[in-house]
Amino acid sequence: MPEIKNGNQTPENLKKLERLLRLARFHPRASFQAELLGRVRRGEKPAGSRWPSFLYGRMAAVLAGFAAVLGLILLQPGRRITVDRCCFDLDGGGIADDGASISGIGQRGPFHISVYEDRDGSGDLTAADIVRFERTGSPELAQLASPGIARIQHCCQDFDGEGPADDGIFVLVTPPDRVHTAAIYQLR
Amino acid sequence: MSYCTADSPAAPPGNRPKPEQTAEAACRLWYEEHGEALYRYLRFHLPTADSAEDLTAEVFLRAIQAFDRFNPSLGSSRAWLFRIAHNALRDYERQTRRRTLVSLADLRDLECNAASPEERLLLEEEIAGLLAAFGELSARDREIIGLSYASNLSLIEAGAVLGISATAARTRLWRALNRLRKVLSP
Repeated sequence: MPEIKNGNQTPENLKKLERLLRLARFHPRASFQAELLGRVRRGEKPAGSRWPSFLYGRMAAVLAGFAAVLGLILLQPGRRITVDRCCFDLDGGGIADDGASISGIGQRGPFHISVYEDRDGSGDLTAADIVRFERTGSPELAQLASPGIARIQHCCQDFDGEGPADDGIFVLVTPPDRVHTAAIYQLR
Repeated sequence: MSYCTADSPAAPPGNRPKPEQTAEAACRLWYEEHGEALYRYLRFHLPTADSAEDLTAEVFLRAIQAFDRFNPSLGSSRAWLFRIAHNALRDYERQTRRRTLVSLADLRDLECNAASPEERLLLEEEIAGLLAAFGELSARDREIIGLSYASNLSLIEAGAVLGISATAARTRLWRALNRLRKVLSP
């Protein structure tokens, strides 16, 4: 006991507790030493040395850096993104079963728009769907001479893949199933 | 509580194994001299015998890895090993961050010379209560009690592990015991 070795007496009120503490004696399994020596013989390394604790913070910083670089790569101009939004009434048929698939390159804006009827109910453009309208290139207004043309707009969604739901889609249709043109716009 | 006996005094501090000795021989020597005391110290802080064995092994593996850095002129191998155990225990507690729970089923490694299973059960209940109260203490209090009673270190040795004088270790120990007594009998 520490107080005996150092010539100090334990206070009287602590002696009972001290006696109880002396009884709490644990003993490892008899085979534990042999197991430990076997681990040493095999050259096993301590778990703590494999990954020093101070490296956790550094590794987190490195991973955050990688994530930031990856994010920049994904968002850099020139990377093609496709946004598919469904389902609205975009052909004038009265049923909200149409979608728009918009492709763009970085921040240059959409360059390809497909308006489709979601026949298979998948919620996005698939081979089973009917593409009502497809357009590539810069925005243009179609000839609006034909009678019976209706204008449909849906706002606001994220159609350009930038994140905020500040974009709208504008279509000119002849109900119930003819789409003349479509355009994507951003609210400013 | 006369049904169980206290253990024999701790083994005398050993010396560093000679350079030509292998890591296994060094480990064997250190374990024979200090292994049980280290195990008891760790077991006081850990909820199960398995976790105490794991951490005891970790201490010896760390010691073998740091064998070249051990300088006997700066202190005994016993104090050095207990410092490694102290650090390993802190690492473990940082990783687990959980409160120590004690159940009777976990006391299979308790030394006891009880004459009957009933007496053994009574002792286990009492020790389980003690360790549960011990777990309520701060890490600082648990350290000094564990070093002094579980490992049977002198106050000088316990002070060396904690980096304080023997007098400061004694004061800290008595304060910790008083707090433990209050937890046991509020």
